[in-house]
Amino acid sequence: MGRLLIQELKFRIGAMIGWSLGLCFFPLVYIAIYPSVAEQMAGLADLEIYKAMGINLGTFPDWLGSIMLVIFPLVTSIFAIINGTGTLAGEEEDGRLEMIVTLPHPRWKIITAKALALSISLFVITLVVSSVSWLVFILLEGQIDTTMTGMQLFRSVLSTWPMVFAVGMLSIFLAVFCSNRRTASTIAAAILVIGYFGSNLSASTKVLEPFEPLFLFTYVDGTGRAVIEGQAAGDLSVLLGIGLVSFALALFFFQKRRLTVAAWPWQRGRVEG
Amino acid sequence: MNEHVIETQDLTVYYGRHCGIQDVNLTVEKGEVFGFLGPNGAGKTTTQRVLLDVFPPTSGKAMVFGLDCQKQGVELRRHIGYLPGELALYAGMKASEFFKMYAYLRGENRSKDHWRQLAERLDLDTSRRIRQFSRGNKQKVGVIAAFMSQPDLLILDEPTGGLDPLVQQTVLDMVREAKADGRTIFFSSHILSEVQAVCDRVGIIRDGRLVAIQRVEDLVSQRMNRMDLTFVSIPPAGAFDFEGVKELERRQHTIVLEVRENLPSVLAAAAKYRVVDIETHNISLEEIFLAYYSRDNGGEHG
Repeated sequence: MGRLLIQELKFRIGAMIGWSLGLCFFPLVYIAIYPSVAEQMAGLADLEIYKAMGINLGTFPDWLGSIMLVIFPLVTSIFAIINGTGTLAGEEEDGRLEMIVTLPHPRWKIITAKALALSISLFVITLVVSSVSWLVFILLEGQIDTTMTGMQLFRSVLSTWPMVFAVGMLSIFLAVFCSNRRTASTIAAAILVIGYFGSNLSASTKVLEPFEPLFLFTYVDGTGRAVIEGQAAGDLSVLLGIGLVSFALALFFFQKRRLTVAAWPWQRGRVEG
Repeated sequence: MNEHVIETQDLTVYYGRHCGIQDVNLTVEKGEVFGFLGPNGAGKTTTQRVLLDVFPPTSGKAMVFGLDCQKQGVELRRHIGYLPGELALYAGMKASEFFKMYAYLRGENRSKDHWRQLAERLDLDTSRRIRQFSRGNKQKVGVIAAFMSQPDLLILDEPTGGLDPLVQQTVLDMVREAKADGRTIFFSSHILSEVQAVCDRVGIIRDGRLVAIQRVEDLVSQRMNRMDLTFVSIPPAGAFDFEGVKELERRQHTIVLEVRENLPSVLAAAAKYRVVDIETHNISLEEIFLAYYSRDNGGEHG
């Protein structure tokens, strides 16, 4: 499987570099501008619209939590969806997957290599952004009134990986389960967007409260407390569990999938009469 | 190792309610070039994909090198070079990078230099990116990828598609050389001349059913003569009612006959009716092939 994994990582190097550089925008801009906008931010802290979006502007850790623990993984999840659905459904649609599955490798190795490569890519992106966040904070530490440390920020940003891992594995599962890439990516994007808004709205709306556990972002704490103390172990376990279960399902359905036919599982062939 | 390199038993594939192939039974022997003939959608690619375990059959069984395609797919694919009919490549890669990657993923070292020789032979510039290639050059990349590891079995889905006539000949030479090395080739095509040129046997598939398997030489030896006989006045019906002779058409002064045997009787009868012109044509493999596809006779070669 080593060869498959190395090749899959090679395919993703460009995307990894591009997305890492692009996502460094978050710490570079949002940490750097804080000293100059801190006072105005505090005044906006109670606006309902920000609450609905899960954004808390009260303190520097709250501000960072809203951006780096919520918006950053939300954007990184887009990479996870594009890559997760493209790597199987996309390759199947354009015919490249046929070339791979006709090589002497079992299917479980092919999908495991792809899932591992995506997980590693997401980890590298998160690690780069965590490191840049730490660096920017160290450089501006003197201008910001906070007891938070750079290492706390680094750890908290890195702890967003289970969230994007869950989205990535969910995308791979959908790519294997659905008949085509468009359907898979649409469903994955819907889960992400509903998971984001649903989690924030259910925290402030009684009607949605019972559904809160169903929303992905329920398991992401975007408050200043999470920046300083880290995410709850239970939440991280749920996200890792979602990722692992999605991968297991992807493994199961990929073994059964009739490649090149673009069929749903229930459309598999049967002898008539 | 089993002498039957490929063996299928009642192989059936359904796509939902649509029949891909139905009860396909065939064997391909070691060192044989087997031509799989049929029009688009007849089931050629479906059969090949089952052999490579791209998907399982709905029912029936397929064996390659005595290995069950579904249970031992990994082991048998080590011995197979495959050229898909719908070739998709990594467009951003240089051809040389693609061949290195392909060899690396196959886990073989012997193909290390062989792709260079093949690229030179097919006149392919491997320093260019695949997206810059014409359709023909992309097809060359696919052909090289299939041949480069010198596999024991080559499964080629319309290998000469998009190639110019000179390169087509080179590819057919490569098929002949593979056969000379004792390797087996399962070759699907709808170009009859190339099947006739390289294949030992041919299987004809129609609407998912294998309607005939014959040695190419037998098929060619069945070659009929078509005779256009022109008379001063046309003979009565039944004048050429001989064994192995079939009246195909009757025009004002001309009768068109398909003659398989009893040629002297035909000529004698023609002389009786004041024949003024005789034209004969050999019926090509193509016409024999078309006869299998003739809806009028239910596809049975008569």
